[in-house]
Amino acid sequence: MKHALTAVLERNTTFTADFTTEPYEAGWATEARWFVRTLALEGDAPTLHLATQVSPDGLHWCDDETAEQVTTEPGLVSWRVREFGHWLRLRASLRGGDPQAKVLIYLALKS
Amino acid sequence: METTHVPADELRRALIAADPKLSKFNPLPRILAFDEFNTGTHGWCELIGNHDGHGNLDTVDVHMRDFRPPQISSCDFFDIGTHGAMSGNYALKVATRPVTGHTAVAIRRLTMAQRGVVQFETYFTYKSEAVTEESSLGNSFGDVVWDGNLHPSEAQFGAFTVATDLCDGDGIRYHCVARYQNTDLENRFTRRWVYPVVPEPTPRENLYNQENLTPTEDFTAPNPEDWHALDEEPQFLCYNEVPTKVNWHYLRWQFDTRTRTNIELQVNDRIMDMRDVPVPQYPDKYDGLENLLNFYVSVRTHSPVRNFLFLDSALISVDW
Repeated sequence: MKHALTAVLERNTTFTADFTTEPYEAGWATEARWFVRTLALEGDAPTLHLATQVSPDGLHWCDDETAEQVTTEPGLVSWRVREFGHWLRLRASLRGGDPQAKVLIYLALKS
Repeated sequence: METTHVPADELRRALIAADPKLSKFNPLPRILAFDEFNTGTHGWCELIGNHDGHGNLDTVDVHMRDFRPPQISSCDFFDIGTHGAMSGNYALKVATRPVTGHTAVAIRRLTMAQRGVVQFETYFTYKSEAVTEESSLGNSFGDVVWDGNLHPSEAQFGAFTVATDLCDGDGIRYHCVARYQNTDLENRFTRRWVYPVVPEPTPRENLYNQENLTPTEDFTAPNPEDWHALDEEPQFLCYNEVPTKVNWHYLRWQFDTRTRTNIELQVNDRIMDMRDVPVPQYPDKYDGLENLLNFYVSVRTHSPVRNFLFLDSALISVDW
């Protein structure tokens, strides 16, 4: 049977500036899927840009090959990640006037 | 009803000694849980505070909202790559944020089929996060100046805790708690085993007063003065010079849910008698928590550096 684990990396957190999630170690997993549930996205034409980042050590990071996701309204978005090495995090940038995003961020992993 | 055990102690000990997974433990007669983290998290999950009947997570206490999900870790580091655990590749890692005062907590939830002696054993290690050019705090921190042997990251580690959340069939709730305080809030080495003399604040106490506790409050006992030393002597553990070397320590802790008291704590070669360590009870009785038998481990940073607690494996056993 496969191993599966869901981690909630942010829980009802409100961001007003660009952010990255805490490093998450996932060398045991073959596949991953981000779920970002946006509860509120406020400001002047606000957009939330989300990119997967990978790292060999949890200290130094770069974007992986996955396309950046763009969220413009509350709701749930998801995308898959594979062949990611041992560490994952999410890089988010907020654009627009006085943008503010309230989110839950889930990382679903499977061996 | 009392359970009677067949007095086959020698055979039982031989079977445990012949099993490479169990022989590094010293279990009581009945093993309730044996958690080797090569095969998942085994029920160790993130603790959060309680939320309302609408599932509104904004109603969770601010100091119990962000205890971080545990990770299955192969102990990867920037200098050597994968360190690995003691029993195979993977350990359970509990990691704080790099925020002074932040606490991360993993909890395991059971109930009692009977009252009696309960024992928690684990092989653990603790570390501060290695630095980057951006996160470096320099070559001295707290009591440490880097000299090739000593490393300032050791002084950047705050404390780790092994603890319980227990409740009787008759509603009396209490916590047996033991904490290794590596440094005080000024980042000076204390290296003491301490215990709280007050029960943990409850969600009901904070429900209408969220200003009561901040997000980085010590949720087990917020006031540092409510932590007392177990004995007079510090215990020196093996940090092993840099934040990327992992050495596993043995911990064995016993308490008695019949008497609601601690018994003893063993950490490597040191056994501490905890029979006289008080276990504060909540003044109110609880419904809905009958026979609660929860264990948690937590790690708290006293510096703006991530602190990690790793468990290689854990074993929970009882005398019933």
